[in-house]
Amino acid sequence: MNQVLQNLKQSSIDWRMLLMAGVLLVITVIFNLTTDGIFLSPENLYNIAQQTAVVGILATVMVLIIVARHIDLSVGSVMGFVGVLIAFLMYTANWSWPTACLAGLAAAIVVAMYQGFLTAFVGVPSFVVTLGGLMSFRGAAYIIADGKTQPLSDPFFLKLGGGFNGGIGTTQSWLLGAVICTGIALSMIMRRRAKQAYEVPTNPLWLDAVLALVPMALVLGFVAVMNAYHIPNKDDAQGIPIPVLIWGVVALFMSFLVHRTRFGRYVFAMGGNPDAAKLVGIPVRRVTMLLFLLLAILTTVASIVAIARLNAGTNSLGNSQELLVIAATVIGGTALAGGSGTIVGSVLGALIMQSIDSGMLLLDVSIGTRYVIIGQVLIAAVVFDVAYRKWTGDVL
Amino acid sequence: MSTPENAVAARAAVDTNACLVELRNIKKAFGGVHAVDDVSLTLYPGEVVAVLGHNGAGKSTLMKMLAGAYPIDSGDVMIKGQKAHIRTPSDAQAQGIESIYQTLALADNLDSVANLFLGRELLTRWNTLDDHRMDADARKVFQRLNKNFKNYHTPVRRLSGGQRQVVAISRAIYFNAQILIMDEPTAALGPEETAMVARLIEQLKAEGVGIFLISHDMHDVFALSDRLAVMKNGKLVGTYRTADVTEDEVLGMIILGKQPAGKQQYERPAR
Repeated sequence: MNQVLQNLKQSSIDWRMLLMAGVLLVITVIFNLTTDGIFLSPENLYNIAQQTAVVGILATVMVLIIVARHIDLSVGSVMGFVGVLIAFLMYTANWSWPTACLAGLAAAIVVAMYQGFLTAFVGVPSFVVTLGGLMSFRGAAYIIADGKTQPLSDPFFLKLGGGFNGGIGTTQSWLLGAVICTGIALSMIMRRRAKQAYEVPTNPLWLDAVLALVPMALVLGFVAVMNAYHIPNKDDAQGIPIPVLIWGVVALFMSFLVHRTRFGRYVFAMGGNPDAAKLVGIPVRRVTMLLFLLLAILTTVASIVAIARLNAGTNSLGNSQELLVIAATVIGGTALAGGSGTIVGSVLGALIMQSIDSGMLLLDVSIGTRYVIIGQVLIAAVVFDVAYRKWTGDVL
Repeated sequence: MSTPENAVAARAAVDTNACLVELRNIKKAFGGVHAVDDVSLTLYPGEVVAVLGHNGAGKSTLMKMLAGAYPIDSGDVMIKGQKAHIRTPSDAQAQGIESIYQTLALADNLDSVANLFLGRELLTRWNTLDDHRMDADARKVFQRLNKNFKNYHTPVRRLSGGQRQVVAISRAIYFNAQILIMDEPTAALGPEETAMVARLIEQLKAEGVGIFLISHDMHDVFALSDRLAVMKNGKLVGTYRTADVTEDEVLGMIILGKQPAGKQQYERPAR
């Protein structure tokens, strides 16, 4: 038993993540009981998954922004601006959707380079730069189409937002699930081999097996639930919604950046000790610019999903989205002081927030009460964060 | 690397008569204040030069310029007789200059392995971080410095002062520093850990590394340095062989800026 405890201690399992997953589980069970099983129905889970995607995509990059001791308050407005621009180009200017999206991306990059330059080179705090951006780009979103809603009808484009035709189908979902599971198994085997090759101690086999099997079970379980959602007048069940697929790819890519690249390591070093980062020769300004570039790309992705989901670009698109994104990030365990946070945490944070919102909606809780409660959940998350850091000795 | 035999071999390979670092008429001003005013200083292989002075005397600024953390206003840095252009920390590292700062330039949230390689990560052929190789190499270096070091994967903020110093020093060892700048290396350490740093300095000297040692601790200065240079108000008071001067004379230089009577200044160590 002692040996097992010792193994668990050294296994670099993120206990805090596990705890948050536990919290999510408790929330779902409570809501499922109070809603007589509606909460855990495939239909509701499908909706939660696809509703969370936009906030979830943005939260993955907000983690890195906050880790690097910056903040982006303009993300909702820029999303609105880019979304309306893309919709305007497709509807009013009759562009094809790929060119319109590329134009949107170009606009987002220009915005990010402007804000990034002010932050990295001029030294204006990102809080101020993006607070200005919050107002300016909301205005820009209005100016582009003169405040008129830009409806969208391209059937392929609309799939990107999920909805009626937005699932990838049952067979494809199972195939994808199988591919992911194979990937998890292979990466675990490769990690063990590499450690042995360098004579670095490995986890015991049973522990690594558990660490690989649990995510596999989650993936297959998710596929099973999504495949169980069958819209009555359709031939096939839905399968994994495309926005969730996009979110998953984004989260994987971001995790790769964080764990496997210099860029990710430098972002964390800059957040942990900006002076040390400079003294060891990290190109702090360049890394900051790259970070804003990444933000531009993911903001564009999020706005494409958002307008596809709404079937339109409106000037109010992404209103107060920045608050939800920051809240999801913070609930996911990212410290506002910088230097610590995880992508998986942001995914859990976004899911926890959306689950609470959705559960209360099912219970007919009024919008006012919902906002009051979600706000307090945010505070509870931060209080927990502070207590947890004190307990583990990780005081920032 | 650390056995006596190859230390001797390493020493034989280094020409101890060739100047390792020569700082020529270095100047630096912040606003109107001359932080470093026309300072010239030399460092030879296998020698420890203590740099002394009050807070604000300019010693840290001088060393930070050599380390690439501050740009130099005027004056030349010669490394092994060649004029060196040091504008960034990376330029300094490329010249074999490593620094260990008083504030310990460590990213507190990262683990010791990440800190050892910070800014110079080992990469796989796909340009991704080669964690396993870094992990294996780091274990070797840390073991060499401290047999009891085991916290490879905890954030360094949870380590003791001595363990943090091991991480900071390991950066210099791993990347084969030829010129080492140590800013108060024993300030935050207990007696045992101080002894470890002293042993390490002896070892690096034997391997032909030149060391600039910034310290307030007179005991360290007299125990470890071959020469000492005293600065006051940005100017160099004088450079003497440590064996030639007494503690009182050194304090006189630091406090009053007074050169000791009848003592000769030396541009190079005794051989």
